Amino acid sequence: MKIAVCVKQIPDPAAPAKMDANYNLARDTKLIMDESDSYGVEMALQLVDKAGAGEVVLFSMAPGEEVSGLRNALAMGAHRAVLISDPRLAGSDALSTAKVLAKAIGRESFDLVLAATESSDGYTGTTPVQIAELLDLPSVTFAKGIEVKGESLIVARQTEAGFDEIEVPTPALVTVTAGVVEPRYPNFKGIMAAKSKPVEKLSIDDLAFSPDSVGASGARETITSIRPAESRGAGTVVVDEGDGFAKIIEYLESLKVI
Amino acid sequence: MDFTENEEHVALRVAVAAICDDFGAEYYQSHAESRTPTTELWRALGDHGYIGINLPEQYGGGGAGLVELTMVCQESAARGTPLLLLLVSSAISGEVIATYGTQSQRERWLPKLASGESKIVFAITEPSAGSNTHRLSTFAHRVGDRDSWSISGEKYYISGVDEADAILVVARTSPPNEKARLSLFIVDSDAPGLSKIPLPVSVTLPERQFTLHFDNVKVSADRLVGTEGDGFKQVFQGLNPERITGAGLCVGIGRYCLERAAQYANVRVVWDTPIGAHQGVSHALAKAKIEVELAALMTTKAAWLHDNHLPAGEAANMAKYAAAEAALSAIDAAIQTHGGNGLATEYGLVPYWGLARLLRIAPVNREMILNFVAQHSLGLPRSY
Ligand SMILES: Cc1cc2nc3c(=O)[nH]c(=O)nc-3n(C[C@H](O)[C@H](O)[C@H](O)COP(=O)(O)OP(=O)(O)OC[C@H]3O[C@@H](n4cnc5c(N)ncnc54)[C@H](O)[C@@H]3O)c2cc1C
Repeated sequence: MKIAVCVKQIPDPAAPAKMDANYNLARDTKLIMDESDSYGVEMALQLVDKAGAGEVVLFSMAPGEEVSGLRNALAMGAHRAVLISDPRLAGSDALSTAKVLAKAIGRESFDLVLAATESSDGYTGTTPVQIAELLDLPSVTFAKGIEVKGESLIVARQTEAGFDEIEVPTPALVTVTAGVVEPRYPNFKGIMAAKSKPVEKLSIDDLAFSPDSVGASGARETITSIRPAESRGAGTVVVDEGDGFAKIIEYLESLKVI
Repeated sequence: MDFTENEEHVALRVAVAAICDDFGAEYYQSHAESRTPTTELWRALGDHGYIGINLPEQYGGGGAGLVELTMVCQESAARGTPLLLLLVSSAISGEVIATYGTQSQRERWLPKLASGESKIVFAITEPSAGSNTHRLSTFAHRVGDRDSWSISGEKYYISGVDEADAILVVARTSPPNEKARLSLFIVDSDAPGLSKIPLPVSVTLPERQFTLHFDNVKVSADRLVGTEGDGFKQVFQGLNPERITGAGLCVGIGRYCLERAAQYANVRVVWDTPIGAHQGVSHALAKAKIEVELAALMTTKAAWLHDNHLPAGEAANMAKYAAAEAALSAIDAAIQTHGGNGLATEYGLVPYWGLARLLRIAPVNREMILNFVAQHSLGLPRSY
C-alpha cells in the first residue's frame, strides 16, 4: 500500500505569532511539524504495517527548505519525503498550495492521500479537498477511522450526530481528525535513520508552474484586515459553601445544557 | 568549535520529554512519596530505545554514547521524572559489561539492559570502607576446581536491588593482608547466600536502598567481568559515566525546579506585583540558573571527552560537583519562592530536594571531588 501524507511545517504554536505587512503569518522562524499532521503520519504507518508492505511518502510545501518537521515524521517511520520550497511561493493561498501539492503528489500513483482536517496555523480546512479535486480523487473528510477492504476503504466519518460509515474506492483522499490514532514517539533508531532518508527538493520550475500562477501573484484570496480574537469574559466563580453542587446544576440549567 | 546541538539531539530531547510528559511530574512525586519504582516510565523509555542508547547496536542498544545517555538523564529529570537507576544500570553496569565483558556476557546481559526489560545495579559501598575503595573487604576466592567463585562480605546503600535481575559487585580478590586488587562479578539478585535487608532512608525516592550480606555466595567463572585483579581500572570505566550522568540528572532537576519556580513567581501576587518582581526572589533564581547552565556545559564536555576516549576524570568530577551544587541551589530557591507551598506535598518540590541532596553525597561526595581537584588539578599535597 502506497500512501502520500501531506505534512505542514508551521511556526511553533507555543511562540507568539508574527504577521508580515500583508497579514500573512511570518514563516521565517524555525518551523515544526503541525501536530494535526502527526495523526495522518501515524495512520499511514499503521495502514502500511497492516498491509504488510508499502511506502509512506510525505509531501510538504514550506519556505526556506525547511525539513525539521519532515525529519520528525521520517523519524516516526515514514520512508521518504518531497519538499516543495521556492521563494516565489510566498503568499500562496489555500488553492495555490493545493495546486502545488497536487502536482507533486500526481507525479506518482498512490492508493491513498492522507491529510489533516485542517492546519493549526491557517485553519482554512480547504486545501485537502482542493487537492482531491485537482487529482480527480474521491475525498472523505473528518475520518475517525480507516480500514482497508479489498480495493476500497471503509471510513468512519465523524458527524454531529455520530458516525457515517463510508465506503470509498481507492485511490482516494481522506482527511483525519486529531485523535484518530495515537501518534507514536520517534524511537532513537528512527531518529538516527531519519538522517539518511531521502528528501527530494523541488522548485516551482520542477513542477512546471509559471511564477504568476502560484504564490502571492497567483493567489485569489487576499487578507484585507485582521483583528485580535475577542478575549473571553471572566468566568463565573462558584464558591462552594456546601451547596456547590446545586449551584453548578443551576448554572448548567441556565445554559440549557441539562 | 561548535556549540549547536545537532538535529538528532534536538529530536532526542523532544521525544524523551514527550514520553516523560505522558507520565508527568506528579507520577514521579507520588512514586517517590510511596517509594514505588517508576517501572512504567523506565519501560516506556526502554521501548523507544532511550534506556540503552549508549550500548552497542549489535546488542540491542542505540549505538550512541554518553553524550546521548546524559541527555536522556537531563531531559527526563527536566520534566520532573528523574531516573536514578540510569546512573547505575545504563551508565556503570552497561558501560563496564560492554567494555570488559566477554562476547557471551554481552550477549546475555546487554540486550535486556538496553530494552529496559531488566536492570543490573551496582554495589561498591561498604560500611567499613566508604569513600576509601582500597579498604573494601568483600572477598571473592576461587572454589571447586577453580571454576567458580565464592563471595563473602557486606555492602550497604545499594539502590534498586529489588528492581534488578543482577548486581555488579566490586570485590577484593587479593588476600586481606595484601594490597587490594579488585575484581567485578555479576551476581543474581536472588543468588543463594545473598540476603537483602532494606535500609530505610528519609529522603523520598522511588528507588529503595539495601544492605547486602554475602554469605559464601557462589558464582560461576563466567560471572567474572574482565580480568581478575584489574577491577580498579575497570570500575573507572564506569565511574566517570556514573558521575557524568549524575551531573546530567542534577542539571535536569535544576532546570525543572527553576521552571516551576519561575511560573509560580510570575503569578503569585501578595503585594502589588508578582513576587518574581522582588529581587530577593528573582536574583536567587537567576543565580541558580547561571549555576545550572554552567554545570550543563561542563557535563556535556565531560561526556564528550569520555566518548572521544580522552581523559575525562577531571571534567567528570568538576561536572558532578558543579551540577549537584547547582541543583541544590535551584531546588532551595524554588522552595523558598513557593513559601509554605514549597513544603506542601501537593506542590511536590521536596522529593527533588531529597534527590539533589543525595547527589551531593553519592556516587562520590563533594569532599572527595574537592580532594581530587586540589591534588590533580592544582598539584596540592594529598590530605588523607
Ligand atoms: C540514597 C543512597 C543511594 C546510594 N546508592 C548506592 C548504590 O547504588 N551503590 C553503591 O555502591 N553505593 C550507593 N550509595 C553509597 C554512596 O555512594 C556513599 O554513601 C558515598 O560514596 C559516600 O560514602 P560513605 O557514605 O561511606 O561516606 P564516608 O566515606 O564515610 O564519608 C563521610 C563524609 O566524610 C567526608 N570525607 C570522607 N573522606 C574524606 C576525605 N578524604 N577528605 C575530606 N572529607 C572526607 C565526606 O564529607 C563524606 O560525606 C548510596 C547512598 C545513598 C545515601
